[in-house]
Amino acid sequence: MTLTKTNRRTAVGGIAATVLALASGGVLAQADKPLRIGFSMARTGMLANATPSQLNTYELWREQTNARGGMDVGGTRRKVEFVTYDDQSKPDQAVRIYEKLITDDKVDLLLAPWGTPFHIAIAPVLEKFKFPLVGNTAASVALRKVKPGYIWFPTSAIPDRIGQELVKMLKGENVKSVAVLSNVLPFTKEIKNFVEPELKKAGIEIKVSAEYPPDIADMTATLTQVKQANVDAVLALAYPGDSVLYAKQAKELGLNNPFQFIAIGPSDAFFAKAVGATSAEGVVTIAHWSPKAEWKGSQAFYDAYVKKFGEDPDYLNSALAWMSLEILETTVAKTGLDKAKMREMISSQTFDTINGKVKFEGVQNVITPTAFVQTQKGKLRIVWPASMATSKYEAKKGW
Amino acid sequence: MTVLDILLSGQLLFAALVTGSLYALIALGLNLVYGTMRMLNVAHGDVVMLGAYGAYWGFTLLDIPPLLAAPVVAGLGGLLGWALYRGIFQRMLSGGSGAGNNRLESNSLLLFFGLSIILQNATALVFTPNNRAYNYLDTVYHFGGVAMTGNRLAALLVAGTACIAVAVFLSRSVFGLATRAVIERREAAHIVGVDVDYVQRLSFILGFGSAALAGVLISMLGQFSPFSGFPFTIAGFIVIILGGLGNTMAGLLAALLLGVIETYGVALTSANMRSVLLYGAFVAALLLFPNGLFAGRAKSR
Repeated sequence: MTLTKTNRRTAVGGIAATVLALASGGVLAQADKPLRIGFSMARTGMLANATPSQLNTYELWREQTNARGGMDVGGTRRKVEFVTYDDQSKPDQAVRIYEKLITDDKVDLLLAPWGTPFHIAIAPVLEKFKFPLVGNTAASVALRKVKPGYIWFPTSAIPDRIGQELVKMLKGENVKSVAVLSNVLPFTKEIKNFVEPELKKAGIEIKVSAEYPPDIADMTATLTQVKQANVDAVLALAYPGDSVLYAKQAKELGLNNPFQFIAIGPSDAFFAKAVGATSAEGVVTIAHWSPKAEWKGSQAFYDAYVKKFGEDPDYLNSALAWMSLEILETTVAKTGLDKAKMREMISSQTFDTINGKVKFEGVQNVITPTAFVQTQKGKLRIVWPASMATSKYEAKKGW
Repeated sequence: MTVLDILLSGQLLFAALVTGSLYALIALGLNLVYGTMRMLNVAHGDVVMLGAYGAYWGFTLLDIPPLLAAPVVAGLGGLLGWALYRGIFQRMLSGGSGAGNNRLESNSLLLFFGLSIILQNATALVFTPNNRAYNYLDTVYHFGGVAMTGNRLAALLVAGTACIAVAVFLSRSVFGLATRAVIERREAAHIVGVDVDYVQRLSFILGFGSAALAGVLISMLGQFSPFSGFPFTIAGFIVIILGGLGNTMAGLLAALLLGVIETYGVALTSANMRSVLLYGAFVAALLLFPNGLFAGRAKSR
């Protein structure tokens, strides 16, 4: 058929053009060649709705870096180019992608995928090829079991520490009774498993303890129970997918508990838009970052993000993504692309980031404290711990 | 809460009605297409999701209240149904009897699966996979101790009205008569002069339009993403299995029943039991009432 013939001819032409382009690229000197940075990201599938705040941050960084003339690689500036694939929200797919990025695409550097299971899944690949990667959006006690040396986790939002710090904060606010609602997905379930024993130890009564599935569409039954229990604090260990549902139905049922904690969701700009400013006001959530004068670059990052995307960055995931990029940048400026030197430097040095100083021992960041933020007058403010707070906690007044 | 408290709770009854009426609207469209053409539209939930996006963009970009946008979005959904029918399914369905027609059920299933994947991923590409939600009609009203958010009340009223309107239309109009004839005995309906093609086309339009309308209502209640359509397909399936495949009227009752099973079941056990309750009802219905709960009268097809 003529149609197929034309197609084949076009395809051959296309391949020839690509080969030519690649060949001519090879002639150019190393410094003119773009620096290729690879990563996988869940663009489709069940987790895809959680990844844009991280991906946006990567994009912003590339734009800014290239505007500066490129990334400093041991003294030479090279333009940055991303090589990315969709992992379809499947960790095993991410494993194949990182292998391909290293062996086939031969990328110069790697950035992290989204989420804990993905970080854990690709760790053995990094070890196999001795390729260092600074993680970001992963938080679980399971991370500590990952063999150190090839991957590092800057977050301080690890569930066991969240459990301890949250209970300290509740005690400080004189909370006597709580309701714990938990999505059964791994991160929130882990928080529940650590926070409940801490609550008991502190003598805070758990009047309601309920779990629910990720696909929940109506919370009336559970929240009616919470309302009757009349507790001082509600710990809604929710994911972004159900935090909005919780807030909307808490408003319908008029939950008037003064301390309202929602685990994941309120740190992302979409939350306030979805539930309305009054409902978002006063909600406490997990994050350890906020624009702050003594954290150099934090305000600039915030402003640039808002300017480019028209909404606030995610105070947890965007900030972590940016921190991982800063750590990588500082390292590569000094060591170039020598993987062994990079690993040594990331493992031993203290880094300045938009979240203050970061230092890794093993795989963990040992400086940044576990913290909580609260929406106050439409802005997220750090309210715990006192050592880094940007504002004082206030009780929530209705929805 | 004691068991009695739960059973007498008006709040739970309201929740059950909201859930049930949305299930009814979703199942209605699914059932029409299945009944008239014996094609299981597994992309039905994705049409619901598209309807949700329609309302979301109308509201956030153009400030159009979702309730005003609802007829337009439903119309667009119907248009999509019409286009798909004309573009793909009409030819398949008119393939005549014989071997081609025997494969119709499996072929259409594959086609709808493909459509579902395309809709989800195209939406993710075009609109990004971000969670979407907006704040509309969020005043809380109190009626006799039952708190009702405006948007949930509106969803209940609109879904209920739409279901009743379609039900009346199907039972009173000539088209409804023709539809029921096609559902019950397709070949015979054709022989006695029913325009089967017309019935099928209109069923597609009604089916897709009602799904898009359900999407508008659902978008007012919680958040959604390009991948939130599938659970609605499942809920729709369970309802039409309970009510009887192709039996649109019984489907409405079955949807309310499912809303009650889900809401009260969760209240009496735990929210983690939701899937168990839904699929439990599904399996029980298949085992005990393979022709649907209300199949007493119909002599089977």
